[in-house]
Amino acid sequence: MKVMGLRARVSAAFAVGALLLSACVSLVSYESTRNTLLAEREGTAVRATYYDAAVVGAGITGTDPDVLEVLRSLDTGSDRYVLLYLDGRWHSRSADLAAGTAVPTALREMTARGEAGAQRIRRDGRAALIVGVPLSGSAVFYEIISLRELQRTLQTLALVLTAVAIMVAAAGAALGWYVTRHALRPLTAVAGAARGIAGGDLTTRLDPHTEPDLAALSVAFNDMADQLARRVERDRRFAADVSHELRSPLQTLEAAASVIHKRRDELDERGAAAITLLTAEVARFQQLVNDLLELSRRDQPVLRESVDLAELARRVCRSRDLPGDLVEVVPGTPPAWPVDRRRVEQALGNLIDNAVRYGGGPVAVRVGAGFLEVDDAGPGVGVADRAGIFDRFVRGPASHARGDGDGTGLGLAIVAEHAAAHGGNATVGERPGGGARFRIDLPGPRT
Amino acid sequence: MTAVLLIEDDDRIRLSLAMALEDEGYTAYTAATAEEGLAEQRRRPADTVLIDLMLPGMDGYECIRRMRRTDDVPIVVVSARDDTHDIVAALEAGADDYVVKPVAVKELAARLRALRRRARTLQQPAPATSVLTFGDLEVRPEAGEVRVRGEPVAVTRTEFRLLCELADHPGLVLSRQQLLQRVWGHEFGDERVVDVHVGRLRQKIERETGSPRHLVTVRGLGYKLLP
Repeated sequence: MKVMGLRARVSAAFAVGALLLSACVSLVSYESTRNTLLAEREGTAVRATYYDAAVVGAGITGTDPDVLEVLRSLDTGSDRYVLLYLDGRWHSRSADLAAGTAVPTALREMTARGEAGAQRIRRDGRAALIVGVPLSGSAVFYEIISLRELQRTLQTLALVLTAVAIMVAAAGAALGWYVTRHALRPLTAVAGAARGIAGGDLTTRLDPHTEPDLAALSVAFNDMADQLARRVERDRRFAADVSHELRSPLQTLEAAASVIHKRRDELDERGAAAITLLTAEVARFQQLVNDLLELSRRDQPVLRESVDLAELARRVCRSRDLPGDLVEVVPGTPPAWPVDRRRVEQALGNLIDNAVRYGGGPVAVRVGAGFLEVDDAGPGVGVADRAGIFDRFVRGPASHARGDGDGTGLGLAIVAEHAAAHGGNATVGERPGGGARFRIDLPGPRT
Repeated sequence: MTAVLLIEDDDRIRLSLAMALEDEGYTAYTAATAEEGLAEQRRRPADTVLIDLMLPGMDGYECIRRMRRTDDVPIVVVSARDDTHDIVAALEAGADDYVVKPVAVKELAARLRALRRRARTLQQPAPATSVLTFGDLEVRPEAGEVRVRGEPVAVTRTEFRLLCELADHPGLVLSRQQLLQRVWGHEFGDERVVDVHVGRLRQKIERETGSPRHLVTVRGLGYKLLP
């Protein structure tokens, strides 16, 4: 089951709270309004009844009075109904024999004791008020007042109050939604910062002062980021320190090996073979240490300057005893491109070394606007190996086929690092006609 | 026989490098500390000095500075440090070149040969026939002399070579790589070496180093010498 979100929960709680509150207020105000209105209506009715009772009392004083005429003379309107109990008989304006049944027993007993009274009743399913006033002798005057108007008013009021309660609940929910959006907004900054760190920017921090209520979170987040940065830095430094410490013994190895290598003619066959191996491995070890140091420095900034990439490529070729005319310049290439010269030299050098080692030598070095390509006519790189070939210590099948363990396994990783440092990337594809085509994209600086 | 003074505190490196350099045809003098090195150079001056930066007591930078006060011998730093900061500081102290350990003996020998080559041309004083004049700056390649407003200025051999190279192409821009190749003999090297030497030269030949009039930077291309 999907868990209800914080915002939904807070909004629901706001809605329920608002509904409860407004329902209570509505009920209380409905009740008090109803009581006030009823009491007022009752007072009016009682006063009118007393007035009418005085008229009727005066009208029936004589002998054999015309009761009907007296009752009819009263101005009762449509919502009042009069009854007279006289000498054991009920009189009303219409010849309604069952008229007396409308008067409740309790009121009859009360009036029989000579007290006036009023009671709420239901007549023909409608609310009404009956007021009884004892007259002289055994006569009692009753008036039944319809409360229909009042009832209708109260119904309207109830309807309005219900509508208001619902609206208040909806407003509560909306408020909850709005408030949580504001309350959660600082978390958007936290999410952004977390994304920044995941993306490799370990300097991302939150300012605990901008959101005092979230200060604890900000501080904890910054603490985490600090520790992560420290750990990354420690790992980086460790790689750098190890490589660094290896340099001095390597210098001794290199110099001592070269002394023996000079005298290999004086050695027997096995000794000469061994020193040849040793010299080659010391050279490879040197390259490995340099590559590791290079990778440990990958966070260093890119020092861009205008560089003639074609000239640079020709020089890199010559430095590897390859003809400079391997370099092809794509038409439309600008004469200079802003790159970190050292990094690009190294990246291109590594690609060319790679082509020499595994692709039978480069057949073309192409220079274009913000990209460099190195083609070889070797076995190429299978689709499955293309993504992983730029990882550290990954050697392609071509390397395994050679089986001599030449190279450090870091050359292409360095190429990828240098390309990434420029905001670009390194890729490998197929060269038309067979072989591999390595490419580094070096976008210009972001403006 | 060319003599090399090797100032290196690591016994094994000192021993093995001395042997390897002797195999390359050099006479190797050695010293384990900067103080010993300075004394050795005074007692028995070598033609080239190789020096490590991390030395017990006086460090390599100070040793280079002291040696430079009295000696224009080519000094090559051989250090395990390769931060830009260390390289620039060593060059500014007066070193002519910088190599990072571990350096292949063949590579080191090639660098020493390049330094020797340019040193040798200057040790054969020829009659001071030609004078290259750039306003108040005079360069006499054969005499190995630089004058500013008639006054001789002391420059190191490498600085002098750099100045001569630029003076040979008046008003022409030479790229850092061209200068590295022609002055230091590097096929492929670190351009900071050129920049620091240009800076050092400016302090000696320019009235205001901040706004040079003779040794001008051409952004993105290199340097040129103007009258």
